[in-house]
Amino acid sequence: MDYAIDIRGISKRFAEHTAVRELSLQVPTGSVYGILGPNGAGKTTTIRMILNVIAPDTGTISIFGQPSGDAKVRDRVGYLPEERGLYRKMQVRRMLKFLAELKGVPGHVADVRITEWMQRLSLTTPERDWGLAKVDELSRGMQQKVQFIGTLLHEPDLVILDEPFSGLDPINAQALKDTVIDLKRKGKTVIFSTHLMDNAERLCDSVCIIARGEKVLDGAVTAVKAAAGDRTIALGLVGARTPGISAVLGNRTLVSRIDDNNRFLEIELTPGADPQQLLRDLVAAGAGIERFERVNPSLHQIFLQRVGAKGVEEGMSGHG
Amino acid sequence: MGKFIAVFKREYLERVRTRAFILTTLLAPLLFGAVMTLPAYLSMKSLKNTKLGRTEILDATGTGFGTDVQLRLTGPMADTGTITVKAVPPSELAAAESTATHAVQSKAIAGYIVVDSSTLNDQGARYAGREASSVGEMQMFENAIKQALVTRRLEHEGLDPKRVDALTKVRLSMSAERISEKGRGGTGLASTILGGALAFLLYMSLVLYGQNTLRSVIEEKTTRVSEVIVASVNTDTLLAGKVLGVSAVGITQQIVWALGALLIYNGRAAIFAKLGLGTLPPVSLPHVSIGMAIALALFFLLGFLFYSSLFAAAGATVSSDQEAQQAAQPIILLLVASIIFIQPILLAPSSTMARVLSWLPFSAPIVMPLRMSVVALSPIEISLVIAGLAVACALAILLASRIYRVGMLMYGKRPSFAELGRWIAQS
Repeated sequence: MDYAIDIRGISKRFAEHTAVRELSLQVPTGSVYGILGPNGAGKTTTIRMILNVIAPDTGTISIFGQPSGDAKVRDRVGYLPEERGLYRKMQVRRMLKFLAELKGVPGHVADVRITEWMQRLSLTTPERDWGLAKVDELSRGMQQKVQFIGTLLHEPDLVILDEPFSGLDPINAQALKDTVIDLKRKGKTVIFSTHLMDNAERLCDSVCIIARGEKVLDGAVTAVKAAAGDRTIALGLVGARTPGISAVLGNRTLVSRIDDNNRFLEIELTPGADPQQLLRDLVAAGAGIERFERVNPSLHQIFLQRVGAKGVEEGMSGHG
Repeated sequence: MGKFIAVFKREYLERVRTRAFILTTLLAPLLFGAVMTLPAYLSMKSLKNTKLGRTEILDATGTGFGTDVQLRLTGPMADTGTITVKAVPPSELAAAESTATHAVQSKAIAGYIVVDSSTLNDQGARYAGREASSVGEMQMFENAIKQALVTRRLEHEGLDPKRVDALTKVRLSMSAERISEKGRGGTGLASTILGGALAFLLYMSLVLYGQNTLRSVIEEKTTRVSEVIVASVNTDTLLAGKVLGVSAVGITQQIVWALGALLIYNGRAAIFAKLGLGTLPPVSLPHVSIGMAIALALFFLLGFLFYSSLFAAAGATVSSDQEAQQAAQPIILLLVASIIFIQPILLAPSSTMARVLSWLPFSAPIVMPLRMSVVALSPIEISLVIAGLAVACALAILLASRIYRVGMLMYGKRPSFAELGRWIAQS
């Protein structure tokens, strides 16, 4: 397998805590890869180490087969930080040109690409060319777009997005998704971190879930879901829930966990339990059943199963 | 190299483009010019209006001496006032004086001079007027009378009047040379002033611009641009580009100012004429050899770079403008200490202290130009100090780079010196 990123056993300790512990993961070239985890699980620290912004205490990181600090490799990587990183007083076009030049793109090439991207993300409209405005005259959403353009101007082979969806309205979130799919189609590798499982499930080929600085699981999304087993049942009920029904659902020998999604319940069966038994018990209790379907668990479910509420709390490290 | 240029270009252009920069660059020379010429202009102007302004010479010599004096007063300053001569017989002098006194009281004239036979016999002349205590004015009258007297005597001795004119017009300017315990090593007061001025100019520009690197670093930290940039360039390149770019801004301004000063200096005759100031005041510039000029420029440049790097390092340790002031203090202290040593070094430019301070990178850019102007230093010593300073600059940039790399992601508490040491060691 050809890996865009190959991380072997990296750890990073800060004075008061361990942010990342013995983490290994491989990102296949040309895939969309999600790093999932609760806030403070070590996602941003991992990304910073991939970018060589900070060095791991132990372990190695190679990008396209080269060590991550290599200058040539660095020019093939595009990075969107979680918080905006733009000079406030700089004109937008000049800011973008500077970011492109830092990646070795000649000025005149950058100019052409900036014009294209500004139109594509509607920062240049017949009414107003925001490229001539200063960064701090732009709204948050527009600044985010500018930052995103800056990430892609040098046409990187590997795009790293740290929490790209946080704070995006639905329209911009859709534009971001489209761009990610487009990048994949062009053979680029995209890796992003998020704590929003829905986005990850829809976009990613592979994922890695980390908590408390450690890897919980990783692999292709289909494989992860299959491995999580077929113990999940989507149950749709009609009418009021009687004490009898509640008793069936509370039976720990059958049901280990229930997630109420309002329109249906996502039920995780206790290992060894027979789903047919559950169905019979529900019918016997007089439940009106609208839907009873064995489903693959959502990433969200898998995440809750594997990380749990406890993990979310303990995973807080303050550094993301 | 391309990335270095990108950083350099950004730091330079973003600053040079600001309105503040353009205004200070263009207006400061005007301000300097005004500060330098205005007092002279105003005093000249007041001289013209109130002093030489209508003065009467009462000539009781009966030999036309009053006209001689008048010629000497109006010749070079034809447009500064009017001098009239009134020839009076000695017997009517008292009456003429009282008429003149009334004229002064009624402000018809500013004053009057009395020359009579006693003047010709070295017994003196008299002046009476509103401004009898004005030293400049009295000196002017005295000189004119003295010269007229000398001319008359020489003519009396049979000299050709034209020769007399040529002989009596003496222009004297006295140059002062410094003699120290080391002998006549000094190259004169003017170059000492030059050395001091350069030291002070460096100090001023560092106070004005050195802290720009500090602010530039803090801006990157607070806007989190640093993360994006460090993912693209290594911090050595970044810091070198930043320090050189910001320094280039300060140096651009100095060059514009220097050119402005040169322009004013070369065109000073025209400017003085325009302002109606007549003659040029004597200005003597110290003689500076090409080699010395290059050395002075290098000291200025390297000093600027060295301190800018230190300011950048200080900026990397803090995360807000409020803390920046504190972080900059130790560096300003180094600078001020070097300035404080100017006086003792001028008194003993070859002392051990002076020599030691010449070798320390933080004081060398200030102390060396001073010493060079008062004692002859060997070119080898100067070259070695410059080389040492250049190395110190490179080290300072590397140091700043390391602190930047670690400090970039640290927010909140300022590091102690021990922690700083750890940062430098670990990156």
